[in-house]
Amino acid sequence: MTFLRVLAMILTAFCAAAVSPAQADDAALRGIIAKFAETGNYSQTRAIVAELAASGDPAVAGVLNALADGDVHVRTSDNQVFITKDAGKITRVFDPLTGEALGEEPKNLFEKVKVNNSLRRAVRDALSSLTLGSADPAKRLQAARTMFASPDAASIEALDAAIGKERDAGVKAALEAARAASVLISDLPDDEKRGAVERLGARADRETLSLLKAFAERSKGDLKAAAERAVSSIESGLAFWAAAQNVWYGVSLGSVLLLAAIGLAITFGVMGVINMAHGEMVMIGAYTTFLVQEVIRGTAPWLFDWSLAIALPLAFLAAGAVGLAIERGIIRFLYGRPLETLLATWGVSLVLQQTVRTIFGPTNREVGNPSWMSGSFQLGELAITWNRLWIVVFALAVFAALLYIFNRTAWGLQMRAVTANRRMAASMGIRTPWVDAFTFALGSGIAGIAGVALSQIDNVSPNLGQGYIIDSFMVVVFGGVGNLWGTLVGAFSLGILNKFLEPYAGAVLGKILVLVVIILFIQKRPRGLFALKGRAVEA
Amino acid sequence: MITRRLFAGGIDRRVLTVILLLLAAAVIVPVLHLAVPPSSPFHVPNYIVALTGKYLTYALLALALDLVWGFCGILSLGHGAFFALGGYAMGMYLMRQIGTRGVYGNPDLPDFMVFLNWKELPWYWYGFDQFWFAAIMIVLVPGALAFVFGWFAFRSRVTGVYLSIITQALTYALLLAFFRNDMGFGGNNGLTDFKDILGFNVQAPGTRAALFAASACALAFALAVTAFLTTSKFGKLMIAVRDAESRTRFIGWRPENVKLFAFVASAVMAGIAGALYVPQVGIINPGEFAPANSIEIVVWTAVGGRGTLVGPVIGALMVNGAKSWFTGVLPEFWLFALGGLFIAVTLFLPKGVVGAYDQWRRSRRDRAARKAGRPPAGEEPTPGTNDVQATPSSSVRSGPSSGGAEPQPAE
Amino acid sequence: MGRKDTILYLDGVSVSFDGFKAINNLSLVLAEGEMRAIIGPNGAGKTTMMDIITGKTRPDTGEVFFDGDIDLTRHDEADIAVMGIGRKFQKPTVFESHSVEDNLLLALAGPRRILPAIFHRSSSAEAERVEAILQTIRLTGRRYDPAADLSHGQKQWLEIGMLLAQDPKLLLVDEPVAGMTDAETEETARLLKDIARTHSVIVVEHDMHFVRELDVKVTCLHEGSVLSEGSLDHVAADERVIEVYLGR
Repeated sequence: MTFLRVLAMILTAFCAAAVSPAQADDAALRGIIAKFAETGNYSQTRAIVAELAASGDPAVAGVLNALADGDVHVRTSDNQVFITKDAGKITRVFDPLTGEALGEEPKNLFEKVKVNNSLRRAVRDALSSLTLGSADPAKRLQAARTMFASPDAASIEALDAAIGKERDAGVKAALEAARAASVLISDLPDDEKRGAVERLGARADRETLSLLKAFAERSKGDLKAAAERAVSSIESGLAFWAAAQNVWYGVSLGSVLLLAAIGLAITFGVMGVINMAHGEMVMIGAYTTFLVQEVIRGTAPWLFDWSLAIALPLAFLAAGAVGLAIERGIIRFLYGRPLETLLATWGVSLVLQQTVRTIFGPTNREVGNPSWMSGSFQLGELAITWNRLWIVVFALAVFAALLYIFNRTAWGLQMRAVTANRRMAASMGIRTPWVDAFTFALGSGIAGIAGVALSQIDNVSPNLGQGYIIDSFMVVVFGGVGNLWGTLVGAFSLGILNKFLEPYAGAVLGKILVLVVIILFIQKRPRGLFALKGRAVEA
Repeated sequence: MITRRLFAGGIDRRVLTVILLLLAAAVIVPVLHLAVPPSSPFHVPNYIVALTGKYLTYALLALALDLVWGFCGILSLGHGAFFALGGYAMGMYLMRQIGTRGVYGNPDLPDFMVFLNWKELPWYWYGFDQFWFAAIMIVLVPGALAFVFGWFAFRSRVTGVYLSIITQALTYALLLAFFRNDMGFGGNNGLTDFKDILGFNVQAPGTRAALFAASACALAFALAVTAFLTTSKFGKLMIAVRDAESRTRFIGWRPENVKLFAFVASAVMAGIAGALYVPQVGIINPGEFAPANSIEIVVWTAVGGRGTLVGPVIGALMVNGAKSWFTGVLPEFWLFALGGLFIAVTLFLPKGVVGAYDQWRRSRRDRAARKAGRPPAGEEPTPGTNDVQATPSSSVRSGPSSGGAEPQPAE
Repeated sequence: MGRKDTILYLDGVSVSFDGFKAINNLSLVLAEGEMRAIIGPNGAGKTTMMDIITGKTRPDTGEVFFDGDIDLTRHDEADIAVMGIGRKFQKPTVFESHSVEDNLLLALAGPRRILPAIFHRSSSAEAERVEAILQTIRLTGRRYDPAADLSHGQKQWLEIGMLLAQDPKLLLVDEPVAGMTDAETEETARLLKDIARTHSVIVVEHDMHFVRELDVKVTCLHEGSVLSEGSLDHVAADERVIEVYLGR
């Protein structure tokens, strides 16, 4: 479980001063272990296990684990207890306390210490109460969770003790939950149980839910009512987290859509150029990332975590340069003929795809995640992966930067002026052809840096761009052409809509439904969500 | 003459020639294929019949697109969807004809349904064992989809690139849908392994020749119908809608109805093309819905010359001929060539091969006229021809609004 | 004047686009057979008013009646055109790739359904009507030329001819002389006065010389409502009109 690892790292950092458990000395432990040689039945064995657990020394974990696995054997010749590993005819022998290898001996010299299922459970409980005393908070948390999952009235005392000592808030909460779960199946007074129900009602996960449901069925009167209240509160809590999960997935998808569409919002939305090769600009960005990583792998592997930061400006320049070439070479001859532009840029997209296919081959290329983009963390009941989170942040940052360029810089002013009234702008000394060219290059460059981000979550292949072009157009058209905010809202609402439809309709049908919704929406509002109204619009 | 009486504006001589050529081919090619021994240099081999038959269905498809794009100004990027739907309707008929000869030998269920553990035939497969029913569906399904889609789109006045993009989304949505196994259309693999059509083996040379003849006749008939449509008052109306939609509305016509009629008629033609295509290639799968396929249709029409009737036919034959040649000789270069073709046609041949030829002929005539001391004729085609070219200025600039309108063409 | 006797009746009409009031409580009445000139600075709402009358824009509030009792707000452009309101756009809009004759044939009053259009045969009655209109708009000689080849002024006339072919009761003519030479302007004024003998007409125009030549009642719009109404001399003498035009 990766989230545990992450949590463990965080916890270790916070709890420098760990709780040090009482250490029994070696000889005493060996004495207890030796008793396994004399045990005649399961209950005797159980007593020995309890005794070992009571020692509180993590060192006994090895022998207990081995016991549960049926690997504790007694040498019949001298009644010594060992941990053994079967290796064909012979058996390998280990010290029961240190785990040190002691050599190989014939199998028939040993007799197994027998275990049954209830004994195994006892061993496991012993282990978890043992680890409650561990110096490592992660182990304590793990133990608390294990005990919560298999509550036992007998462990309440151990838990109380652990709660008293525990200083780590997260572990403490887990311990308290485990205690509450144990209380529910104990024969403690109702008051105590009511407290436990309340404590558990504050949690919102599936295990607690089934625990409380089972309890509600067993109990009567007040207690039953309280349990049922807690059940419904957990259920609504779970529904909330499920919705939150969908929203997060939707936001994540929305950020991908935003990245893919935002360059298009400039070239299509602002300039009115239908660039069907937009997806290929994204692809160029992704392949730039691949090349940068290849070079870094070959020459300076220690730079790998910086590969994306290096790739960003390069991808912007590469895609921007290609965009500039397309505008100067083709699109400028087709201004005012949107349908022809559409066809010519489709041709460009075919050529670009085939070029990349010829150079890099038709198969997927491996683009790695830097360390800070891999893994995930837990937020409530949400598992959030770092790469998705960074992409959301990145998409919003790109959007903000673009908004700034557009609304606050001289260049942005020129772009807006040329869009609003070309002739007037030209007569005021703005070089409209160059504004066109650089606006187009900007849109393409943005698509390029989108490609850097998308290379982290998608396959880098010559077809990468194809997958995004229709979605991008949908976002821009849905959001309203010529409006960056419309693109933002369009991207996120389509992303979230998609993810909310998915659980009911399945991924493919969900996507189809979204397309149908957009097609119907365009019928209703042909100019998108954020369109200007007025006489001039339709003239 | 009868044609004179039938066609108000007089049928173009060029269209008539092509129709006659097609009818001749419908007779001659099967004869050369079946009656002439393979050793003879005049023998037409099997693969040529199949290949050219396929091209003819493509030509029909391109003609269908030209009706809406060239004459009515609707650039549909989803015409492949109507083609594929017609093809699927035919494919369903052919699947039902397999009967017990499938791998699983199930008399009622096509193989893929047995494979997916389906117990009975879905209701929408009923009737497809009858050819007449399939024939109705070939026309009805694409027509109905076009009607519903067009009814919504044209009524709410979605035009220009917006319309193009949502037609693309339409075919994309269908692509995704037909990829699903539980749609009951064979999923990824589509419908294939056909055996019989109307009781004849689809692989047999005679059947192939008949399918070729059917394709040629269908194309000839479609040419005649479109020639009739485009020379009628309705045809003028289509061009009026293409050039100045709001003007037509303000003189009392309903452009949405004009477009809807053209769109449905075109979809039906595309459906028929698809139905003729499937038995000749022996398979129909969701790949036919791919947006890239639909855009390829556009380039056939553009290369030949949109707004002309013979242009799309010539374009489809030329581009597909080139494709077959390239994929045989230089497979890696085909996409470069196709991409280059898109760019070159829009930049240098906006009126296509046929339009460029007309222009060249006209300018030569004008030069000759000037030499003879007469004033040159007008730039535009003389009245009476039905080859009416789209003028680039037809995309009327909207008023002095800022963004938010139709994307502002940047002049 | 009661609503019944009017050809066009606008009362309390307002429309706003994103908060901007393009038309603000506008009231305007046109009698049957009347010709009216509408003037006003840019953004006064002249074109928006035309949009409302022809069904392109729906008013937020107010009544719009045609021919006494037809509520125009309930109909769309094509309906309204068939009912008898013809509109000429500010920018001449004709079917460029059609001949002059075809332009007129498409505009001729008659059934507006698809099937009749497909099987339509031209009749001698139609030919006569087209001939008459061609004479009225002085384009007889260019009958078979593509409309794209006409001069700017001729396109304006062709558009007016298309309106006539529709046989409307009311013509809305938006800036008919923009971009015309003086001679063409005078010709157009004569043409409109000709038309006004048998039709009701609203002319929107900036050219005061032309408006004076029309010699009809003038309405001056400003910020979406009527600023002044009366003879041209009366309106021109109005302090508020002068202020609006000269920006004092």
